[in-house]
Amino acid sequence: MRRRYELPKQKSTFGLNITSMTDMFTILLVFLLQTYSTSDVEIIPEKDMRLPASSSSTNPVESIKLVVSKELVKIDKTKIAEMKNSDFEAKDIDPNDTNFILPLFNELDKIAKDEKLKDNPAVKEGRILLQADSALPYSVLRKVMYTASMAGFPQLKLVTLVGE
Amino acid sequence: MKRMKKVKIDHNYEFELDLAPLLAVMVKLVPVLLVSSAFVQLMTIETQLPQVVQQAIEKNEKDLKATHITLEVKEKDGVKIVVNKDGKDSVEMVPKKADGTYDFARLQERLRDVKMHNPEVFKIDLSPDAGVSYNDIVHVMDEARRSRDSNVKFPVFDKATNQETKTDYMFPEVTFANTMEG
Repeated sequence: MRRRYELPKQKSTFGLNITSMTDMFTILLVFLLQTYSTSDVEIIPEKDMRLPASSSSTNPVESIKLVVSKELVKIDKTKIAEMKNSDFEAKDIDPNDTNFILPLFNELDKIAKDEKLKDNPAVKEGRILLQADSALPYSVLRKVMYTASMAGFPQLKLVTLVGE
Repeated sequence: MKRMKKVKIDHNYEFELDLAPLLAVMVKLVPVLLVSSAFVQLMTIETQLPQVVQQAIEKNEKDLKATHITLEVKEKDGVKIVVNKDGKDSVEMVPKKADGTYDFARLQERLRDVKMHNPEVFKIDLSPDAGVSYNDIVHVMDEARRSRDSNVKFPVFDKATNQETKTDYMFPEVTFANTMEG
């Protein structure tokens, strides 16, 4: 019977070459530092919503965040009203004033009169950060602007994507 | 006397830099930056809404002689530029292109011309039709905000230095004029 050959047992170490990995991380770090957000305000774009692109370079400031998409209207994370065919439902519109959105006014009015928020500069100065879908017609935006203005929020800041 | 020992320098000597600590820092830094990075950069366009009608009326009464520029964005025809100077209106139409889109290049050209004749005006009123898309409104505001031609600048009088400077800004202040209309 042939004897099985055994390798002598020895301690072995090997050096991992991490130069290429460091190269990759350096590139990644530079890219991430470039895209690092320095804005104080966190805006999370709504799902399935396309914001218009603009050459504006004004950074967002702390304001009441209003979202108007093709499906719904939201203030921060609170759903205010639903949309149908890119317009407001009849039940949400004041029968005496076709530009007046009742649930939106009620919510903004509640914020404006909230004792806890009375020292908030966004509420004091009546600032709104409007995220609206680029495909929406002006008639919808006009209703939102009109209602916001009536509720004491005349400073409207339109959120846009950077680009042409 | 003790003879000095000759130091032999090996010019071909190679050594390997220990990159492990650097990599350790990067491995920690990359996830932190990944979490806090904004891959979509968002900006804002500031607009004013006519809050109290009385205030607007009072302001208008004070600025009777001020030049008023209004952009009427028509759904079918194009953009109408109305310049009210000394109580007289001059109207110019920038028609839509053959493919049905707004002629933004021509609009920018005409607005540059309006600004040249009225360098003291920085505010415009915007009156879009109900059916005009938000995207087109933002585009019109973009065209009105600043000159795209870097060679075209407009004079501005700086009160602080008592000197005239140049700017590429045309009409950065935009007010939606027809918000309160029924």
